[in-house]
Amino acid sequence: MRVYFCSVKSKIAMSNCRNGFKIIFLLFALASILPFKAYAYNPTESFDDLSNPDIAARVEEGKKLFKANCAACHKVEGKLLGPGLADIWTLWETQERLIKWVHNSQEMINSGDAQAVKLFNENNKLVMPPFPQLSNEQVVSILEYYVQAEQKKLFDAKPAAGGATAQKDATIGGEAAGDSTPNKWILITIIGVLAIVAITLYSVTSKLDRLVQEKATGEIAEEGSIASKILNKKLLGAIVILGIVFLGYNIVRGAIDLGRSQGYAPEQPIKFSHALHAGQNKIDCQYCHSGAEKSRHAVIPSVAVCMNCHKYVQEGPKFGNKEIAKIYEYSGWDPESSTFKNAPKPIQWVKVHNLPDYVYFNHSQHVKVGGIECQTCHGNVQEMEVVQQFAPLSMGWCINCHRQTDVQFANNDYYSIFEKYHDEIKKGERSGVTVNDIGGTECAKCHY
Amino acid sequence: MSNNKYWQSLEQFEETPEFKEQANKEFIEELPVFDYVDDATKVESTGRRDFLKMMGISFSAAAIVSSCKIPVNKAVPYVFNLDQSSRIPELMPGVADYFASSYAEGGDFMSVLVKTRENRPIKIEGNTAAPLSKGGTTGRAQASVLGLYDITRLTQPKKKGDSITWEQADTEIANKLASIATSGGKIVVLTNTNYSLATKKALEVFKAKYPTTEVVTYDPISLYAIRKANQTTLGSAIIPTYLFDKAQVIAGFNCDFLGAWVNTTENARRYITNRVPSKENPNMSRHYQFQSNVTITGSKADYKYAIKPSQEKAVLIALYNKLAGTTLASVNIGELQAGVDKLAAELLANKGASIVVSGTNNVDIQLLTNAINGLLGNYGSTIDTTAALNLKQGNDEALKALSDDTSVKAILLVGANPVYDSAFSEKFKNIISKAELSVSFADRVDESAELVQYITPDSHYLESWDVLEPKKGFIAFVQPTINPLFDTRQAAVSLIEFAGDTTTAHDLAQSVGLPFTTNFPTLLGNTAWESALQAGFVASLNEVATGAANVSATIAAINTTLPTSKGLELVVFESIPLGDGKYSNNPYLLEMPDPITRVSWDNYIALPYTFAINNGIQAMSQASTVKTAKVTVNGKEIILPVVISYGQAQDTIAIALGFGRSEGVGQAAFGAGENAYPLIKFDNGTISYAVDGVTYETLNETRKIGLSQRYHTLQEDSNLPGRPRRYRSNIVKEANLTDYRKSDSAGNEDRASIKEHLTTLYKSYDSLGHHWSMAVDLNACIGCGACVISCNVENNIPVIGRKEMSNTRSMHWMRIDRYYSGDPDNPDVAFQPLMCQHCDNAPCENVCPVNATSHSSEGLNQMAYNRCIGTKYCANNCPFKVRKFNWYDYQGGDAFGAWNDHTDATYMLNDLTRMVLNPDVTVRSRGVMEKCTFCVQRIQSAKLTAKSDGRKLKDGEIQTACQTACPTGAITFGDRNDKNSEIHHIFYDSGRNYHLYEEQHFLPNVGYQVKIRNTDEKPNFTFIGALEEKA
Repeated sequence: MRVYFCSVKSKIAMSNCRNGFKIIFLLFALASILPFKAYAYNPTESFDDLSNPDIAARVEEGKKLFKANCAACHKVEGKLLGPGLADIWTLWETQERLIKWVHNSQEMINSGDAQAVKLFNENNKLVMPPFPQLSNEQVVSILEYYVQAEQKKLFDAKPAAGGATAQKDATIGGEAAGDSTPNKWILITIIGVLAIVAITLYSVTSKLDRLVQEKATGEIAEEGSIASKILNKKLLGAIVILGIVFLGYNIVRGAIDLGRSQGYAPEQPIKFSHALHAGQNKIDCQYCHSGAEKSRHAVIPSVAVCMNCHKYVQEGPKFGNKEIAKIYEYSGWDPESSTFKNAPKPIQWVKVHNLPDYVYFNHSQHVKVGGIECQTCHGNVQEMEVVQQFAPLSMGWCINCHRQTDVQFANNDYYSIFEKYHDEIKKGERSGVTVNDIGGTECAKCHY
Repeated sequence: MSNNKYWQSLEQFEETPEFKEQANKEFIEELPVFDYVDDATKVESTGRRDFLKMMGISFSAAAIVSSCKIPVNKAVPYVFNLDQSSRIPELMPGVADYFASSYAEGGDFMSVLVKTRENRPIKIEGNTAAPLSKGGTTGRAQASVLGLYDITRLTQPKKKGDSITWEQADTEIANKLASIATSGGKIVVLTNTNYSLATKKALEVFKAKYPTTEVVTYDPISLYAIRKANQTTLGSAIIPTYLFDKAQVIAGFNCDFLGAWVNTTENARRYITNRVPSKENPNMSRHYQFQSNVTITGSKADYKYAIKPSQEKAVLIALYNKLAGTTLASVNIGELQAGVDKLAAELLANKGASIVVSGTNNVDIQLLTNAINGLLGNYGSTIDTTAALNLKQGNDEALKALSDDTSVKAILLVGANPVYDSAFSEKFKNIISKAELSVSFADRVDESAELVQYITPDSHYLESWDVLEPKKGFIAFVQPTINPLFDTRQAAVSLIEFAGDTTTAHDLAQSVGLPFTTNFPTLLGNTAWESALQAGFVASLNEVATGAANVSATIAAINTTLPTSKGLELVVFESIPLGDGKYSNNPYLLEMPDPITRVSWDNYIALPYTFAINNGIQAMSQASTVKTAKVTVNGKEIILPVVISYGQAQDTIAIALGFGRSEGVGQAAFGAGENAYPLIKFDNGTISYAVDGVTYETLNETRKIGLSQRYHTLQEDSNLPGRPRRYRSNIVKEANLTDYRKSDSAGNEDRASIKEHLTTLYKSYDSLGHHWSMAVDLNACIGCGACVISCNVENNIPVIGRKEMSNTRSMHWMRIDRYYSGDPDNPDVAFQPLMCQHCDNAPCENVCPVNATSHSSEGLNQMAYNRCIGTKYCANNCPFKVRKFNWYDYQGGDAFGAWNDHTDATYMLNDLTRMVLNPDVTVRSRGVMEKCTFCVQRIQSAKLTAKSDGRKLKDGEIQTACQTACPTGAITFGDRNDKNSEIHHIFYDSGRNYHLYEEQHFLPNVGYQVKIRNTDEKPNFTFIGALEEKA
């Protein structure tokens, strides 16, 4: 039997209804689901139909609230600091009790509620901060609508894992993925060695030829003719021209790359791993880089953000407590007494992505308005142990993307002033509007 | 359409051959290339070997430099105190925050918003919600943000030149005050006008502790006579609010009420309300001005009369006689009588709707204007005596009495600098040196602070808490936008500390301000106090004027004895950029050209035209070179460069105040001009700024000064055969109101035919999205220059210093050209703000060899600094001469450090001052061209906000820096493709709109609105002389 326990509609209906049958049904449902614990996502469920604007709005609301309030300690699936939220309904008998927990978990624990105390103990006695500001509706938006929609996404994504993303990266990071320097030099060396071998062999054979000829005719052949045979004017000319082309090409390439630092991966004062935080623990990029949607700077988080979690997470999988101890040192936290004993100190991170002063770049323009994924420019940071510069950050790279990328034209009323393009789209003459089409490659869009 | 001859300088007026040649050139003088190379190089020509050597060196240098390791940059996040009890501030790097505050001076007040980036104030904007200034600002307010980062400011208290701690200063000063007070010794607190309620309360606390204290207030540029006259006329010594918007006829007598008087920002706003006619409302007030020296107010007048300072009283008596129909005293004012008669007739026709004001600090003259206003019934209709101003409270008689007082035991100078800016400099030197205790609260070692025992430096207003009452019924707040940069303390706090009270600045301000906030609505869950701070003000003002005058008492009090003038007369006047000189160490202000004479970095002797010509002043062949002269008054000599001020009264000399500071005031102010304060005198109960018995002598010596009107000359229309010669009457177009009422396009009639004939070889482009355009209303512009400074601060425009200004290398992205037309002894004046015109057919764009300047699809003429190689072809090809070249690295923008071997402009080359730079605008380094960008950073930021919100851009959402600064709303900016925008309305519906050189088809995106003068005659003084010469 399929049990739609997580359906909001049915659950709200049930809890509000005094219909005995439904209560029995509910109890039955609980009894049948609890022993299994694991929840199977059911894609036919209607509430995560995102084409319904009401549902989409609530999913969006849930997403915002999740990022703002929960993402520090919870993931959708799997444990972070707290348990994964996909399983959360299975831990509570009623919706009211769950909401009560969210509003003030400590109160429930202190009141001696057995389930609450159990949950607290299972999660290393980490205190979940109270969220009295969230309304019941909002809690449902997070835990039902958003979490369900996320699960659907994960469910849908499984068969075609990573395919689409990989292709996208290949086109945009084209320049990055291109010629790999060591291979080229190996090739050149091999060609060089082979050329020398060929020349040596040629001289040896011609010398032998000469000896054979000497023996046969008894005359002594002229020495100079060999050199002139090998280095005749045509060959010499060709070698010189090739040399100039080769050197010139490399000098120009080298000159163009001056001042660029693709692949730059400096050592940081703390061995912070994005692979662990963003990859394995799936912490949203903007949880730490909170400026990406609001400001020109994505913002390097202050140590206060680290301490949101690391008050509780005192040991990491790779370096144990060695690196986390550095955060405590910077923040002034004393893990023994669980207080901020000392004055905080600034962490001097090494800046990886450096743009010249005469370039204006704005993160929110790209992330919020353009809807560009962080990975498009920064690469798969969630797989990087040490962050490195993925893109060349050259002007050609910027311009290329502006020529190829479509703006979010349809859903943004700002672009309604471009009547011509809207007409063309309507008539089917145009499939999309690139950044370039609305003047996105003009000088004063980035240089002022 | 008039064919006025417009001119800017004597050389242009006389059309000297040198001038004509220079006007055609990009650089009016040959570049001094050979000053920079050694002798050997000068002689030898560059041979092949030298060329190869240089090339080799260049290549190897480039190779070495480029193979340098890329510098390692650090990204250091903020550090917050994570203690649970302290709140983590909400701060988003890269996003600006705005805080409401107030900018206060003795004579002017404005509510402002302070823009901070990363908690560092970088720009002052007007607060449009505040009722007095309604968003208007002055140049000094705009520049004040640079004053915060002045390296000359004291970093801690001083005792006789040695640094001490605040504890030591407090203890020693309090002990001395206590001993003086107990022995009954006199303690004097000397201040300039201060309408801070916090300081007032602090003074009360101080007085309670030390009862022998006397507080004396004075103003360097005093209006004591107005208060004194109003004591007779209105029964209380107030300065009323003048409602210039309600007046149909305005008569000013030596009164610069738009630029340098009292409450000028509000005056300017009100005045212009009724001075810009439109198709819907083709009306404007009429403005008469009687003036000795030329002011911006006089330049805006419809009818101007040049009077000597000694004539003013007689003219006012004549006016009174005419108005009252009686004879107060018989006067003979000669040919001025016609003007007085005309004015009198119009004043009588507009009873209760006129204003007569005088800026002269003379009680009889003020009583006369009061009597005239009373006679006309202006009190209660155009003059509001209820909303009394607290500006300019200085008491000249009290200052005089104090200067003669020998019993002063302790003197505390709270913001006052009497050794520099009073008429009693020597006496105050004496008092300070003889006092048992002398303390200055100055933020630097100024002329008075040099002499005192203790300096307890005051904080900058951007670091302070305060509650101000500039006008009755209006309370304004000052809140700090940054922690004090140095170990300084607000004066009010120092005063109460000396009295043994330890209240903090915030608590003091709150205790003073709380009563006013009680009826303030709470916003966003804030308390009333926080809400009031957020708004910046609390107001209960009535737009309807109330008040009544006692005319008979006023008339009875007038002493009708006329002054007898002895020969040449001298006027010392308040300079528009510097004011009274308090902020004269601000290089932005020093570099701002005077609106009338266009001189920067110096004061000068201003002479009337005919007098100057008669005294050997002639056209000079070299730009920025002028003669010097010596002026002697009462045995005091002053030698300064001479500048002609067209329209100044004959036999009158004018010198600006605020210059001639001592070394301790700072690097910029020291050496700039001469101090004219010693020339003022105390006369009959008030301080007089006009003196007679002056001798003048032109010296046989020239000097180079920053005279910016000799260059950047806009060329005449055309010297093509068959076309009538036009003397720049296509640059400034004007008409009079009578004609304008008949036709909306009066003065602009030729535009229709010009537009018909326009044709081009270039391909035309679709204007798809936005098309940015700017409109400048020549009627609304008063030439005050607030926009110039605002532009400087917003766009990181460098200060280049006196030497480079005199080398004709001004860097201002916008300038206000001042044109004269008509009789050189009393010409008409027009101000024309000129910035990059963003031509759609820009001549600069197609001459750039590297495509560094190009056109955007939004109509902007773009400038990519990092692409520019400095050929300067664009500047050479710009008809408006608005492109500016960086001859030096003035702001340390160069990656390899500043290399400024031949400039003295190092004002912006320290880390502290560089904190004022706008992080959204590139700091240009040596060797690149720059120009107005239409504040593209603001355009981009507003577009981004609209996109983020998913909505259309609203008209008026983008305000350029010049636009926000303007006190009169002369500048409109917007998207002309938006059919509902104001700019679209101006460009396509207004007959007044025209573009410069329209017949050349540059298609500028800046439009000007024809200047309308409310005169009966046509504004047409065609100057024949030069015209005939050409023919």
